[in-house]
Amino acid sequence: MKYALFLGCAIPIKYPGFEAATRLVCDRLGIELVDLPFSCCPPPTSMKLVHYDSWLALAARNLCLAEEAGLDLLTLCSGCVNTLKEANLILKQSEAKKRKVNKILEEHHHHFKGTIEVTHILDVLYQDTVVDKMIKEQVREVPLRVGCHYGCHYFRPPKVMYPEELSAAESYVPVKMDHLLSIIGVEPTEFSRKFLCCGSPLGANADQDAGYAITKQKLAYIHERNIQAISVICPSCFEQFDMGQIVLARKNKEKEKIPTFYLTQLVGLALGLTSKEVGLDVHRVKSKKLLESVGIA
Amino acid sequence: MTTIKIWKHFPREDLYECYQCARCTGSCPAMQVAPAIGPRGAILKCLNLGHDEVVEDEKIWLCCTCNVCEDRCPQKIPISDLLVALRNSAARRGNIPSRLGVAIELLAKTGRSMIVHQLDEMRAHHGLAPLPPAPVEEVRKILKKTGLEEVVEI
Repeated sequence: MKYALFLGCAIPIKYPGFEAATRLVCDRLGIELVDLPFSCCPPPTSMKLVHYDSWLALAARNLCLAEEAGLDLLTLCSGCVNTLKEANLILKQSEAKKRKVNKILEEHHHHFKGTIEVTHILDVLYQDTVVDKMIKEQVREVPLRVGCHYGCHYFRPPKVMYPEELSAAESYVPVKMDHLLSIIGVEPTEFSRKFLCCGSPLGANADQDAGYAITKQKLAYIHERNIQAISVICPSCFEQFDMGQIVLARKNKEKEKIPTFYLTQLVGLALGLTSKEVGLDVHRVKSKKLLESVGIA
Repeated sequence: MTTIKIWKHFPREDLYECYQCARCTGSCPAMQVAPAIGPRGAILKCLNLGHDEVVEDEKIWLCCTCNVCEDRCPQKIPISDLLVALRNSAARRGNIPSRLGVAIELLAKTGRSMIVHQLDEMRAHHGLAPLPPAPVEEVRKILKKTGLEEVVEI
């Protein structure tokens, strides 16, 4: 199993611990990762809103690099997967848009053909063969009450992200993270507004206080369910919960904080990696005590 | 300022599909915490006042881009496409939040949308090699060709 690894910007630059955890976990599970000279995806919450044509062309360049290497593209961030999956779909469907983009990329010897698929680390880990391997490699359980937070752009709009999961009657709600984590002993716990925005794009683009107000509401529902830890698959959601709780505590004198984990950090712990190896030591909300309470150092 | 024909990006007749049930706005996270226009309001204003009126309003940026409005629309109106088209048009008229403008400039200058000091040390702490530089020149040339300068200086 081999993928072109699309790191994006936030993970290798702000949260390299997620990258370290992902590389170690993939290595252990027999998933080969290839690094290519990608640029920013660019985000559905910035470039796409400001200049659609630039968004599509830059995304197409990234898709071309993976095509040229003959590999499907593995993303680690909800923003990246949203941009690259949507751009891939648009360019496969629209001959006119493809022609326009290829004219721009021609000078740089890229030509979008539409030969690869874009996927996300959660979907890659969820495959049967990977799960089998994970069960074999697992050395310990991670028995925590965890609230899984998927982030909007991983699955919305479903017509673009998961068209095959849609029924005519209802919209699609993701479950893969809950299922996957239950394999490693986690107790996935539901909470209100689980599938709504973390607040990050509103804060980043327009009004930081308003962004954190959304996070605050969400944290109240998370506390209500006695959730011990949050699991995310997106660096923006992570920042909103990790840094967000520090910022909110300054204002609200809230003492109790809930640690946040990136998906592959939790999987890494189950595979026997240490908390330092998966990069937990640099999180703002510390998880040491909580992990020690369940026998994980 | 140049404009874009927003109805190229969103089928105008879809506006008439809206019967103002406000399921979108009831679901909108931004509406709960900020004085946003909201998806229902954006559609109504486009119909009644024309989209010019909407794209002049800086409140158009109070949006999480979470697509939940579109997800819950009983009429299946592609609302997120409308909100993207409106903001593309707003940006061309200089209506763009300064934070976002800075982020776009950074992307054009570095090929990435994030920057930190002591990156190599941070990565080494996690046992990772330095991050290879992004292909800045190629990115910048592409962005010049696609016309990003209509919106920000690059």
